[in-house]
Amino acid sequence: MAATISGYTFSSVCYHSANSNSDHEGFLLGEVRQEETLSISDSHIGSSEFLNVIEVHNHEPCAQLFSFYDYAGYVNEENLNRILKDRRKNVIGWYRFRRNTQQQMSFREQVIHKQLTQILGIPDLVFLLFSFISTANSSTHALEYVLFRPNRNRYNQRISLSIPNLGNTSQQEYKVSSVPNTSKNYASIIKEHGAEFFDKDGVMKDIRAIFQVYGALQERVQAVCSEVDQSEQVREKIQGEVNKLKEEITLRKHNTAEEERRLQEATNTVVSLPDDSVLSDPLHSSLTQVVLSGPSVEPSLERPVNSSSPPLYSTALPPDSPSAILLPRPQAVGSPGHPSPSLGLGNGDGSSSDSLNRQATGQEDDDDEDSSEYENLVSEQLQSPSVTEAVTLGRPATLWPDGDAHSPPGS
Amino acid sequence: MQPSKLDTANSSRVQWDSGDLDQGFVGLIFSCFIEDKHIKTGRVLYQSVQAQKGSEYEWIEIPIHVVPHEAIGNVCLVSAVDLPRFLCQEEQDTYRRIHSLTHLDPITKIHNGSVFTTNLCSQMSAISGPLLQWLEDRLEQNNRNIIEHQKDKEQLTQELASL
Repeated sequence: MAATISGYTFSSVCYHSANSNSDHEGFLLGEVRQEETLSISDSHIGSSEFLNVIEVHNHEPCAQLFSFYDYAGYVNEENLNRILKDRRKNVIGWYRFRRNTQQQMSFREQVIHKQLTQILGIPDLVFLLFSFISTANSSTHALEYVLFRPNRNRYNQRISLSIPNLGNTSQQEYKVSSVPNTSKNYASIIKEHGAEFFDKDGVMKDIRAIFQVYGALQERVQAVCSEVDQSEQVREKIQGEVNKLKEEITLRKHNTAEEERRLQEATNTVVSLPDDSVLSDPLHSSLTQVVLSGPSVEPSLERPVNSSSPPLYSTALPPDSPSAILLPRPQAVGSPGHPSPSLGLGNGDGSSSDSLNRQATGQEDDDDEDSSEYENLVSEQLQSPSVTEAVTLGRPATLWPDGDAHSPPGS
Repeated sequence: MQPSKLDTANSSRVQWDSGDLDQGFVGLIFSCFIEDKHIKTGRVLYQSVQAQKGSEYEWIEIPIHVVPHEAIGNVCLVSAVDLPRFLCQEEQDTYRRIHSLTHLDPITKIHNGSVFTTNLCSQMSAISGPLLQWLEDRLEQNNRNIIEHQKDKEQLTQELASL
């Protein structure tokens, strides 16, 4: 069995994964087809083999973790249908993105996979695992991916995932000279019949035809791209509005709760002052004064800090919030203080590539220990942030004064 | 992964093109299509480097972080669509150069024309086709999300009004 995925679909999965501040998962959509390969060798006249090829066409990202299963790994079919809707019939696998983890299925993933296989009715359901690792100085990052095809006996069976590309583009197949031939018959025949391939301008007719196909395709790509661009802007705008509304609601509920609490305290204090002798106690009276004249906080839009209860709507940070840029980076494998027995530390002199080499984990592992410790949930917002800006094309990079690569503070 | 001498030399040349050190110029090196066939693991690497002043072949590593962004920007979309255009342009330039050779017999010209056709077909099936497929899927996904967010917005607006 083999699998293919286009570079764009692969990049799209990576894009969603890189945007998440925790693990990310979703479903792979596509189809399975059979390929017949013919081989001829000296020992056989000819033999054909049938190879099942999984083609991944698209993916359906899940908005959050545990959206179709619970902490015990029990899959909720109703939630599954709500996510997939009419795309359920196109599911050929699912994927998971983790940071700094080993490339093997966790116990929960195995449990989920088994249930998905039964619920979706796909015996050859595949699982694509992405793992993201970085060097200690965050200059080099690697995204590794493995496609598993778990079956009854082995959960670590791997399939090769290929990303078709152009291959050799050296254009060496063009000929710059003709094979010398002195035969006059040869020359006259190819001149007479070869002329049918060319139009009156001396250009090959096939080239004009294929160029028309290419032109039409490129025009359509351009048009759809414009539509996508507009839809991205609309989506971003409306998502921003939704986030703002959620914050507003959270703030209002918090302020309302605060006011109720203050009122309650005030009521309790008034109720607890029936005896004048209590008032004559200077200590008690000062305490009472403190309670009665507590800080009068105007009902403002100040964001609650260190709130005891988590925000009701846990969404991504708003884009205009400064902390969005300082999104804490998960601890890199190989960074100081991070246990990494199989990886070396980068020392910033160019030899850090060694720290990205890892042991092969393709062997069956009898240890079924739940490796959920590697499953990073939503990170706390109070971690120490990194202040280094990302380098993007067209924008100046933020470098250290002397140009040397330093580990960002907090890593 | 280490930048080659050519990478560093080119980077250094651009960095000091005007004679002044451009501290904001860095090189991003991407290494793709790496596969360890033994363990069937694929890997995509990227690295950020900067040429060192005073030497063409020395370089330092620069930290780089990916900042999350909900929407795909116009710059990225334009770059994605420009790629097949550039590839086609390169192919056309090569073919025109070859086709201008006058000493080629018709069979060789037909061969070269077929090479051009084959290469263009390869570009369409490997690049343009998947690109169009991804764009259509992305558009569909965006439209779905917009409808869902619209419903959320209405519900949240009502909830806010009731508070």
